[in-house]
Amino acid sequence: MSARAWTGWIAATLVVAALVHAGSLFALPWLVMDRAFSLMGSRNTMHHGARADANSRTIVRPSPDLLYSTCPYDLTKGPLEVRAVIPHETYWSVSAFDNDTNNWYVLNDRQTERGKLDLVIQAPGRDKDVAATEHRLVVTSPTIRGLILIRTLINDEDRIAAIDRTRRLATCGPLTEPQ
Amino acid sequence: MKFGLKLAAALVAGIALGLFATWATVIRGAGPNALSDGPWRTSLTTGSAKSGPYTRASVAMHGLLALNRDETIYYTATTDSSGAALDGTCAYDIVGHDPDARWWSITAYGSDDYLIPNPVDRYSISKNSVIRAADGSFSASVGSAAHVQNWIPTSRAPFSLTLRLYNPGTSVQSEPAQASLPVIVKGSCS
Repeated sequence: MSARAWTGWIAATLVVAALVHAGSLFALPWLVMDRAFSLMGSRNTMHHGARADANSRTIVRPSPDLLYSTCPYDLTKGPLEVRAVIPHETYWSVSAFDNDTNNWYVLNDRQTERGKLDLVIQAPGRDKDVAATEHRLVVTSPTIRGLILIRTLINDEDRIAAIDRTRRLATCGPLTEPQ
Repeated sequence: MKFGLKLAAALVAGIALGLFATWATVIRGAGPNALSDGPWRTSLTTGSAKSGPYTRASVAMHGLLALNRDETIYYTATTDSSGAALDGTCAYDIVGHDPDARWWSITAYGSDDYLIPNPVDRYSISKNSVIRAADGSFSASVGSAAHVQNWIPTSRAPFSLTLRLYNPGTSVQSEPAQASLPVIVKGSCS
């Protein structure tokens, strides 16, 4: 084979390598989120995970000092409503992640005076469907699918039971009230 | 060599090379971290839609569901303060003062990015649990040898540490590479 032919094949190999590298790089977050979705259980339902320990395998690098509640969402059939009681004696936050792992929303206990959370997640392009009120926050997800994650800090080992009771009051599900 | 064979060889080699590049840059390594503060590395764009494909893929592999830096700054250490890789056959001391944040913790993870099994089911120290000296400083032991207090157990294998700063102070937010963070000092190895 001539030197020119070799150069052509090497260039073709490098082009394939670049395409595969770029494709796998962009696909990784989606694949990892997909796996997380499948491990986290049913959509549009709040799942209250056990405190992380050495046996935890749902999410990499979990914090053993936080309690995680998760709601994988799918807005195909309409908006999602997240309700929770906000503890003001410890760190608490509700965050939302899109299908590409971006953290597109976060609210912590010090950013609201409300003792309760009423958060409606709308589908992209449907941001006129639900109006915010004095008691209801309304946000628009950048993607149809995503994940709500509530973190509650165990700031006192003696109060774990009370902290766990409060965070288990959090729910998520299809918005059913009149809009 | 026939054209078909050459084409197949180019495809196989290209796919292998492309996947190797992804493995080498994202999966094997701790990922591209934009800033270093001693042994602690962090990225300004973790969790943010502004993050590039390498950071996003790296976070998906090593820190899925990380909050954005306005809420939490995550630092990871894979080496001690002298630059030597963290190794569970050695003992380490983490020495310093409380970082500037509403709450902080330091947690050890195995090379599989999960918590490390240990006899006392302890995985971290935090603002709430650390015992401080009279001057407010603290010293925590990291390693497989048991300690009564301020102990982060590891197995006798390579490990890494994550420092979480929840609601970081403005000084950390504006200069995350200049934050006053604990040092990691290697002791004896066995």
